[in-house]
This record gives sequence, C-alpha cells and structure tokens, in this order.
Amino acid sequence: MPVYIPPNSAKRFDSQPGHPKDEGVPTMTSPMSRRGFLTASAGTVGAVAAAPLLAACGHAGGDTAGATSAKKLTQILPDYVPANSVKADIPSLNGSDPGFISYPANPVHTVTEVPGAGGTFSTITPLWGSIPPAGNQYYQAVNQALGASVQINPSNGNTYAQTLPTLFAGSKLPDWLQVPGWNEVSVANFGNEVQANFTDLTPYLSGSNVKKYPNLAALPSGAWQAGVWNNKLYGIPVYPGTNIFAEQFFYRADILQKLGLGTPEIKSAQDLFDLGKEVNDPKHGRWAFDDLWQALYQPFAFLGGPPLMWSTDDKGDLQANWEMPEIIEAMNWQASTVKAGLVHPDALALQTSNAKQRFWSGAVVIEGDGGGAWVGSDAVSGLAANKGYNRQSFAPFTASGTGTPVYYLNNSCNMFSYLNKSLSKSQVEEALRIANYLAAPFGSYEYTLINYGVKGTDWSTSANGPLLTATGQKNVTNTYSFLSTPLNVQNVQQGYTQVVKDDCAWQQAAGKYAKKPLFWNMNVSVPASLATAWNAATFTNTTGNIIQEVVRGKNTIGDYQAAVKSWQKNGGDKLRTYFDGIRSKYGTA
Amino acid sequence: MATEASPRSRVSPAPRERAARRARPRRTEGSGRTGPSWRVRLRRDKTLILMTLPALVLLVVFGYAPMAGLVMAFQQYNVYNGMLYSPWVGLANFSELLSDPAFWHSFWNTLLLFSVQMLLFFPVPIALAILLDGLLSTRIKALVQSVTALPHFFSWVLVITIFQKMIGGAGLLPQFLRQHGVANPVDLMANPSTFKFLVSAQLIWKEAGWNTIVFLAALAAISPSLYEAAAVDGASWRQRTWHITLPGLKGITVLLLILNLGYALTFGFEQMLIQRGAVGPNSAEVLTTFSYIYGIVNGNYSYGAAAGLFLGLTSLILILAANRVAHAFGEDGLYRR
Repeated sequence: MPVYIPPNSAKRFDSQPGHPKDEGVPTMTSPMSRRGFLTASAGTVGAVAAAPLLAACGHAGGDTAGATSAKKLTQILPDYVPANSVKADIPSLNGSDPGFISYPANPVHTVTEVPGAGGTFSTITPLWGSIPPAGNQYYQAVNQALGASVQINPSNGNTYAQTLPTLFAGSKLPDWLQVPGWNEVSVANFGNEVQANFTDLTPYLSGSNVKKYPNLAALPSGAWQAGVWNNKLYGIPVYPGTNIFAEQFFYRADILQKLGLGTPEIKSAQDLFDLGKEVNDPKHGRWAFDDLWQALYQPFAFLGGPPLMWSTDDKGDLQANWEMPEIIEAMNWQASTVKAGLVHPDALALQTSNAKQRFWSGAVVIEGDGGGAWVGSDAVSGLAANKGYNRQSFAPFTASGTGTPVYYLNNSCNMFSYLNKSLSKSQVEEALRIANYLAAPFGSYEYTLINYGVKGTDWSTSANGPLLTATGQKNVTNTYSFLSTPLNVQNVQQGYTQVVKDDCAWQQAAGKYAKKPLFWNMNVSVPASLATAWNAATFTNTTGNIIQEVVRGKNTIGDYQAAVKSWQKNGGDKLRTYFDGIRSKYGTA
Repeated sequence: MATEASPRSRVSPAPRERAARRARPRRTEGSGRTGPSWRVRLRRDKTLILMTLPALVLLVVFGYAPMAGLVMAFQQYNVYNGMLYSPWVGLANFSELLSDPAFWHSFWNTLLLFSVQMLLFFPVPIALAILLDGLLSTRIKALVQSVTALPHFFSWVLVITIFQKMIGGAGLLPQFLRQHGVANPVDLMANPSTFKFLVSAQLIWKEAGWNTIVFLAALAAISPSLYEAAAVDGASWRQRTWHITLPGLKGITVLLLILNLGYALTFGFEQMLIQRGAVGPNSAEVLTTFSYIYGIVNGNYSYGAAAGLFLGLTSLILILAANRVAHAFGEDGLYRR
C-alpha cells in the first residue's frame, strides 16, 4: 500500500504504522521530484497564494493582504486544550513529537456519541498510491461509525495541482476539500478563493467554541494559525505538528562503525567535510554525500525553501532566503564537496527518485532527508538491503563550529481541509463533529478504526500493534485522514522501538535551536504584479535553478549575485516593501 | 523523425512537363475545366472521403480546435475568468518574451542542439538501411532490424536511465575505469560541453533502427534491373551506391528532411526536460522546455502561450522555406507543385 507524502510537508505523516513510506511516486520525468515536492512544500510564510489582493475582487472585502495580526489572532484561534486520553511514552519536549514505543493495548474511546446526523458529504482528497475500490467494506464501516455518508473520492496526488484549478474554475467544489499547502499556488488568487468558496469556521471554533470538539481543541495553535485567511479561520489542520523542519542530516552509523570511525562528533562544516573525505570510496561504489543542499540550512543558519521566506539583516531590514549571506557560504561549502568528488554522481545528475535506494544500499553514507524518513518502515527497507543498517542524525551543530545553532522551522501544518460555503449551519456542525472524530489521538479506538479499519477483517493484533490483513491492505489507506487528523506522533513501526527513541531524542535536541522565520504560520496574499518575484523561478525551479548550477560548478557565485540583483530589480524590492507593510500592520507571526 | 511517408520510386517530372503544368490556366468552376464536376467527383470518391473523415475529425478536434486557446497569448489569462473574460494585453506578452534573455538563450540552444542532432543522426538510418539492404541472409537482416528498431518503443525515461546506468557518473563504464586506475572519469551524463553529442547518441540509439524502415522501403522500390545493368557494365559497389542507391533515396530523404525541419523548434521536449537538471539549463534548455517551465510550471499561461505561438509560426516559416528549396531543386517536397 504505497503512500507517499513529501517528507517535510507533513513530516510525521508516514510515521503511521502500516503505512510505510514509499518513494515510488516521483520519477525522473516527474517535474515534481522528491525534493521538488519538498521544495514546493517547504512553506514558512504560511500558505501564501501568489494572488491579487482581495481588494482586487468585488465580492471580497476586509483586509487586503490576507494577513492577520497577532492581536486579531487571539480572537480567532481556537483554545488549546491538550489531550490526555492517550499517554505518550516519550512526552513532547521543546516542540518534539510525542513518542510511542508500543501501540496502546486497549484503545480508549474519545468520542462517546455518534458524530454524524445521517448527512451526506462529498469529498475530494489527494492520494499517493493505488486507489481503493469504491464503496468497500472499510468505507462502509467507518461511515457507519461516523453516522454519516462521507463519500471518499481520492484523486491522484501527483496530479492534484492540475485537478484543483479545474474544480475551482468550474465551481465543482465538493462539500469537503483537501488542499495541500504546496498546491495552493496552482489555484490563482487562493486567498480570494478561500473566502469565496469555503465556510468561515471562526464562529464555530474560535476561543472556547472549540471545546465542543475536544479532539480538535488538542491541535496546536500554530497549525490553526496557518489555516487563517483574512482574519477568519477556514482550514482544518491535517497532519499538524509543532516543530517541523524541512530536512536534516542522516548518516549510516553502521558503515561508520565498520570503518572504525565510531560515533562521529560533527562540530562544524569542516568536520563534516573531513568525515566525508574519510568515508568516500568511489572505487568501491561508495560516496560520502548525497545532495545535501536541503539540509544545509541547519548548520549554515539560513532560510531553506523554496518558497520565499523572510528574515531580518543586521539593520533589521527584510531579506529573502537568497539574499542571506549565509546561503553563499553554504553554496561554497557544497561546491567544495562536489569538487572534491564527495557527492554521488547520480545525486549530481539530480536523480532524486532513487536517493533512498542509494542510502539504503550504502552507495551514499551521509544524506539529507525529511524527518519522516526516520521511521520503522525505513529500518525495514534498509535492513533488507544491508544487515546492520542504522540510520542516525548528527546532533545540532553550526557551520563555523562556534556559536549557537539556528534551525529555521517550517509551518506547523501544511495541509488543510475546507468546508464548502454552501453547507448549512447544521451541516457544518455535523462535519466538524466528524472532523473531531477523525482527529482522535494516536492509539485511541477512533484512530485505530480510521487508520486500520475493522479488527479481524482489516487488521489483526500483533506484538507490534495492529497489522493490516490482505483485505486491509487493499482497502485501508490514507483517505479519511486527509480531512482531519490528530497531532503527529512518533510511533513504533514493526517493532523498531529504538528508531522512535532516537528520533524523539534528536527532535528534543534540535527543538532547543528551533527558530521561527518571520511571518511563520501566517498567510499572506501577494498581488499579481509581484507574483513573478514571489515565485522567483531562478531560485526555486525544481531543476536547473541557479543554486544547483553554482553548487555543481556550472555557474559562479558572481552569476548568483547577479541573479539576486536582477531579482531585486524585477520585483524583489517591491515585494520587500510590500512585506514591510505587512510587518508594520500585522506583525511578523 | 518517425514520419509517415509513402515511398516513392517516381522520378520527378521533367522540367518541361512541370513548366507546362504551371502554364495551364487555373481551374475555375465551370470554365475551361477538363475533369468531371465536383458533384460527380464527390459521388465517385465518397468512399475515400468517408475513409479520411475520422482522421479529419481527429485533426479538427485535437489540432485546430485547441488553436482557439492561442488568444491567451494576447491576454493576461487566469483560469477563473477564462478565455472570454481575461483582460486583453495586446502584444505585451510578446514584447516581454522577445526581450527575455532566457528565451533567446533557449532559442539559439534549440537551433544548436537540433543542427548537431540532425547532422549526426540523419545519415545513420540511411547508412544502416543500405547496409541492411546489402545483406543476403533475410534471417540476419530481420534480426538486426528488430534489435535496432526495438529502442524506438522505449520511453525517453527508460532510454536515459539506461544511458545513466551505462555511462553516468556511477555507471558501468566510469566504475570500470575507476577500478582500473582512472581516478576521476568524466561524467558524460552531466557534462554540459558534450551534451549535444550525448543527446545525438541517445537519439541514434533510440531511433536510427526505426528510421531505416522508410529507407528500406525506398530501396526496395529501386528496380533491381538497374543494379544488374550497372554490374554488367562493371560498376563497383561504390559506384552503384553513388549512382543508383543514393539517387533512388533522394526524394524520400528530402521529404524527411523538410518534415524534420518542421520539428526543429519543437523537438526533444522529453529528452531535454529529463536531463535538464543533470547538465543545467545553460545547455539543455530548449524552446519547448522553456515554454513548459515558464508557462505551465510557473502558472504564467499567457507567457507560455506566447512562446508557443512564436514557436509554431517560426516552425511554419521554416517548413515553407524548406519546401520551396526542395521545389527549386526539382523535388516533390511536401506536395507536388
């Protein structure tokens, strides 16, 4: 049952048991490669639609920038009431995901009443993997539990960006729609469209109103914030987390062990380079590094992306990702690794689709990947290729070897579902009760039903928690969960408890250095005249962007600086002024 | 390159005959017409016309109807307003396009890659066809033909993957070299300066065998008596090839060249798109990938449409010019004059 989600869009998405991460989606042809997804989804300035302001449209009033000030937010956001029904083995610390090293033996009920009132809801959700048969037993069982007919209608996740605009343009929106953050750009004027087509959930959920839906109230505020458009709450968070990092370094501890290098202590970029030199052995088909670019933002302390994000320079002026001086250091460093022959040639050829295989097989020792890669199912794949496979991550460090690390965060949530504006008040309330059911925390009875189906038919018990049967593998996949989910957790898969412990420990350590970019979890609509500068194709194109060219030695830093100048001239500076306006009017987070 | 063309053994009409045809008055309805009236012809040819109908419908639905979308090139198109209500911007997209250095870069790059590919690729199927034609064993001939034609049915992804596994940086050849003392073998799959030869090699590997088919058909149409007569006269293999085989292939060669010119600006989309990342846009960006990436991927549909329209018109001019040249040389070209 291949399920694929970009690693950092919903970092912990693939950490669910029985849903092994599968890298089967992107191919060389697919313009959205693994990193393509990633780059497209690494949203930090909220889900910003490169779109004209609401003012440009007759039917929409209110604020023009799609943004919402912090003061206003407190009136809009739902209260946060953490759930205690299922206790994590490793509690959250510094914003880390709670960890579970076993599946609760007796799943608790968190919803006592049947949530539905017999209503019917049409839905459209993306799915990365084979689509289960329509009307199958699993759907019937879940709908029966929900007391409503939620018509699951999965659409190919790889082409979802093409599906969405036609739905919006043709007014064919279902009652309940999932819009991944990285697909928002495919819908022109997204901020506008949200207001025009979807239900404003503020009156239902703001403040203490959310207490009617306790499982929704347990979702972190940051995730709700990223679902706010123009002073109103529209999005129901899907796969929300607290600290979500884009990528991080991973290394093959077993290979280093075998080479007699022990546990590496990486204190600077130079250390990493030296370690790379030591393990590099192309003659025997082993290279030190995969393409590390997406992880370099951590030690070099710059804003990764795309998309465009902002930080401030020494004078307090806004600077975009590619204007930060740190990014040039990072490019120089990676270029030096390329020049030294430390990077696997397939990675240099941007063959991202088999990056996992390179790591599993040991053709690459050190890689960058999303946190979602550090799960039990990865251990299964790795061990199949290599006895003793052990994925580990470097403790936080800085490039210079001095000072405190700065690890910039991604948005707390990058996927949202929306309710159609045409629904009546009672229908909205029914849908929210269903959402509350779907958001039941990990390990609860409801969670088990949604994620594994019916006991006996779809899953059977095992020492490692529920195990999908053949029927379950055919029918049960991430479908309902794209409408609403609980907080991401780290949980044991296939009995690999150590993986959960290691990952939680890394998250707790990295969480100490987590830094929010400006406009974190904030939705800002950008006027159409600035859309080109906002897209900044020179820096963000999946293949052949200037950063890749410099790193691979095909362009120089001088070319890069010229590209930045040209970007500034062609709208970049205007964009800065625009965001300056947002900053002074609404604040930065 | 896999263009359809009926092999013709017909020798081009003598210049006098063509001159006479040209001097004939244009046929106009009723006056001076020698053939039957259009009604009679319609009744006579109705079966043939019916047979062309599906192809015609296909052409109209998928060829002509979508052309209406070209109005986007003159609009600031967005999906909500559609083609009917999107604001008109005149030639703004074109002026932006023509002043975009990236566009001109991809334009010249297209021409360069196309010329190199054509120069290296075009003679290969002809040579292969002549070689195959000379084989006596039909069994070996069929085997070679099948083996060389097979890659035509592979997708570009597969072809490029095979190349990557063979000569890519971690592929069979460089790994072999590394194990035999070459420290840093060149990565041909990611080398911008040799990219034009790489794509030509890929094209030859994939399409040369398939393209021999049309030449083999043309060769089969050359009367064996010509060869026999030449052999009797003592002509060598070289002389027979030069004086009989190649002239026999001239018509079809010119036709294929012209048709290929029509693809000059639109060729190799998949091939380039897949490898664009490996060698970088500096060497791999062609007009089609440009309009795809700047138009579709970046959601700037009007800009993409303007690039597409420019491309189409330039291709048309190229084809007409080539056709005229062919006519000037007494060949049929795309159609007989």
